[in-house]
Amino acid sequence: MEWSGLGSVGSISAFWSQLVVMINHFKKLLSGKSLLISLPYLWLILLVAIPLLIVLKISLSDMGPTSVTDVLSWSQGWPTIKINFSSYLFLASDQLYIDTYLSSIKYALLTTFICLVVGFPFAYFMARAPKYLQPMLLMLIMLPFWTSFLLRIYAWKTLLVSNGIINNALLSLGVINQPLAIMNNSFSLVLGMVYSYLPFMILPLYANLSKLDLRFLEAAADLGANAFKTFWLVTVPLSKAGIIAGSMLVFIPAVGEYVIPELLGGSDTLMIGRVLWDEFFANNDWPMASAVAVVMMLLILLPMSLLSSYQSEQAESKL
Amino acid sequence: MATEPKPNKVKTDLLRVEGVTKIFDGVIKAVDDVSLTVAQGEIFALLGGSGCGKSTLLRLLAGFEVPTKGRIFLAGQDITDLPPYQRPINMMFQSYALFPHLTVWQNIAFGLQRDHMPKAQIAERVESMLKLIQLTSFAQRKPHQLSGGQQQRVALARSLAKQPKLLLLDEPLGALDKKLREKTQVELVGIIEEVGVTCVLVTHDQEEAMTMASTIAVMHEGTILQTGTPDEVYERPNSRQVAEFIGDVNIFEGQIETYAADHVRIRSEVCVHYLMHGISGHVGLSVVVAVRPEKIVLSKKRPAGEVNWCVGEVVALVYFGDHTIYHIQLANAQVIKAQQMNRTTDLAEAITSGDRVYASWSGLALVVLVQ
Repeated sequence: MEWSGLGSVGSISAFWSQLVVMINHFKKLLSGKSLLISLPYLWLILLVAIPLLIVLKISLSDMGPTSVTDVLSWSQGWPTIKINFSSYLFLASDQLYIDTYLSSIKYALLTTFICLVVGFPFAYFMARAPKYLQPMLLMLIMLPFWTSFLLRIYAWKTLLVSNGIINNALLSLGVINQPLAIMNNSFSLVLGMVYSYLPFMILPLYANLSKLDLRFLEAAADLGANAFKTFWLVTVPLSKAGIIAGSMLVFIPAVGEYVIPELLGGSDTLMIGRVLWDEFFANNDWPMASAVAVVMMLLILLPMSLLSSYQSEQAESKL
Repeated sequence: MATEPKPNKVKTDLLRVEGVTKIFDGVIKAVDDVSLTVAQGEIFALLGGSGCGKSTLLRLLAGFEVPTKGRIFLAGQDITDLPPYQRPINMMFQSYALFPHLTVWQNIAFGLQRDHMPKAQIAERVESMLKLIQLTSFAQRKPHQLSGGQQQRVALARSLAKQPKLLLLDEPLGALDKKLREKTQVELVGIIEEVGVTCVLVTHDQEEAMTMASTIAVMHEGTILQTGTPDEVYERPNSRQVAEFIGDVNIFEGQIETYAADHVRIRSEVCVHYLMHGISGHVGLSVVVAVRPEKIVLSKKRPAGEVNWCVGEVVALVYFGDHTIYHIQLANAQVIKAQQMNRTTDLAEAITSGDRVYASWSGLALVVLVQ
C-alpha cells in the first residue's frame, strides 16, 4: 500500500511538472515572434486553404436538382465518401475547355512576353537614371494604381470602340476612311492586359537591375564585349531572377483574368475566366465550375513551383 | 618576401600618357595634367591615398573614362578614343568582378570567345591559364564557391587570357587579409613575370607598391609628385608629401647655417644636422630635414660630437617582437619615432618608457627637402 501510495504521489508530481513544461512550451509558442509568424498563416489557412479545399470538394461532387450533394454522407452511422470525377472527365473530353485553356495560356504568354519586351528597357533605364529622378519615375509607374482598375479598362473601351476617340481622331484626320477594328478582339484584349500588368513586370525588374553591379558590365567591355554582347551575356543572365519574378507576376493573374476579356475581348477570344463565370452564374453548374477552377490553379502552380525551386537554388548559391 | 624587380634589358616605352587631364562635372579635377611613360615589361605602381586620382587614371587607361585633355599612346598607337572593348588592355578589377553566373572556365574563356577564337584554341588557352594559376580542378566551380585568394587568381587568369599588351591591376590585394596578402603578392608577381606582361597597378598600400613594382609614381590631388624606383622614392623623396606618404618619417624644420660643396649644416630647434654631401640651396634657406625611424640609433649614453643627435624622453613604445618603435618627446615637445631592432633577449638592458635617451643618426641618413 505504502509503495503504491508513494508511487501515485510520485506520478502525480511528475504529471504536474510535465504539465508545467507543456504550459511553458505553449506560452513560448504564443510569445511575440511565433505569434507574429503564425498570424499570417492563420489568415491564409482561413481564407485560402479552407476555401480551396471547399472548391476541391465541390468539384468532386454531384450537382443535385437544387444544390450540390455532399461528398461526405452518413448512411446507417457510417461515413460514406462519394467522389465524382465526371466534371473532370467532361473537362478533359470537351474540346471547348481544352481550347479555352490553351487560348488563356496563349494570351497570358503573349501578354507576359510583350510586358517583358516593353518593361525591360524601361526598368533598365530607370535603374540607370540619376538617383534623384528614380523616385519620380517609380511614382509614375505606380500612378495608374490610384485609379480604379475597372475604370481604367472602361476608359480603354471609350478609346478603342468604332466611334471612340482613336477612330474618330484618325477618321477626321483622314488617315483612315473606315473605323479600325481595334475593339472586342485579341488586339484590344492583349493591349488591355499589357497595359494593366506592365507595372508588375517593371517593378521586380527595376528592383533587380538597380542592384546590378556596374563593374560586371565594365569587366565585359574590358574583355572585348560590345554593348549588345554585354547586355545579352551579362545583364540578362544576371537579371534572371527579376525576369522570372516579373513574368510570374504577369503570367499568373493573366491566365485567370476575367474583367479584361469580358470588357475588351471579343466572342472569339476565349479566356478561362469567362468560362468560369458562365459555369457558375449562367449554367449554375458548381461542380463543373469548381473543376475548371482547380485545373486552372494546377496550370498556374506548375510555373510557380518552377519559380520557387529556382529561387531556392539562387538562395543557396548566394554567399 | 620582397621580390626583386627584374632589370629591364631593353627599355622601350610601351605606354605613354601625355598631359592627361580628367575633369568630372565641369569642376572636379580628378587627374591634372599627368604625363608618364611605362617601359615594356615593367610593373608600374600608381600609389596614393584615396581621392588622389590614381583610380581615375587607371580607368582612363582601360577606356572607361575619356580624358578631358591629353592623349594616351600604347605601343605608339593613339588609343585615347578607342572604346574599352577594342583596346589590347585588360584589367583585373578591385574585388575582381568575376561573373557570378559563369564558371571559372567560362569566366576565363569570356574574353577569348569575344575574339571569335576557334573553340579548340580557347580550350587550350583556358587550360594553360588554369594550370598557371593552379586551379585546374576548380574549372567547373562558380566564383562564389572559391576562397578570396582563389577568386583573385581567377581574376588574374581572366585578365591575362587574351594576352594583353598591358595589364591593369586595381588594388590587386585589397580584398585579401594580411596573411594571405604576402603569399598572394609573391604568387602574383611570379605569374606576371612568367607571362612577361607590362603592368600598371593602383594601390593605396605603400608596402604593396614597394614589393611589387619596379617603378612607383606617387600621386596626390591628381598630379604625380615623384616617379622612381621603390628605393628612390623611399630614400630620396623629392618633397615632404612624398616623404610623409611613404613610410614613417621624422621631420625637423630648420635653416641652412653653413653651406659648402661637400657638406651642409642645418640648424633646427632641437639639434644641428650635418649633411655629408652638398645640396642646392643657400645660407638662410628654410628647409625640412627628414629622418626615417629605422635610421635612428637610441642610446642612454651621450653620442660623441655636437651634430646629428638630440635628446628626449621615451613617452611610448610599441613592441612588434622583432623590433620596437619608440616615441621620444624632445625639448620642444615634438615627438619623434625611432625604430630599434631587438637584438638581444636581455630585457634588463632594454630602453623603457620614461627613460632619457639620446637619438642619433648618420650624416648620410638625412634627406633635406626645400619647404
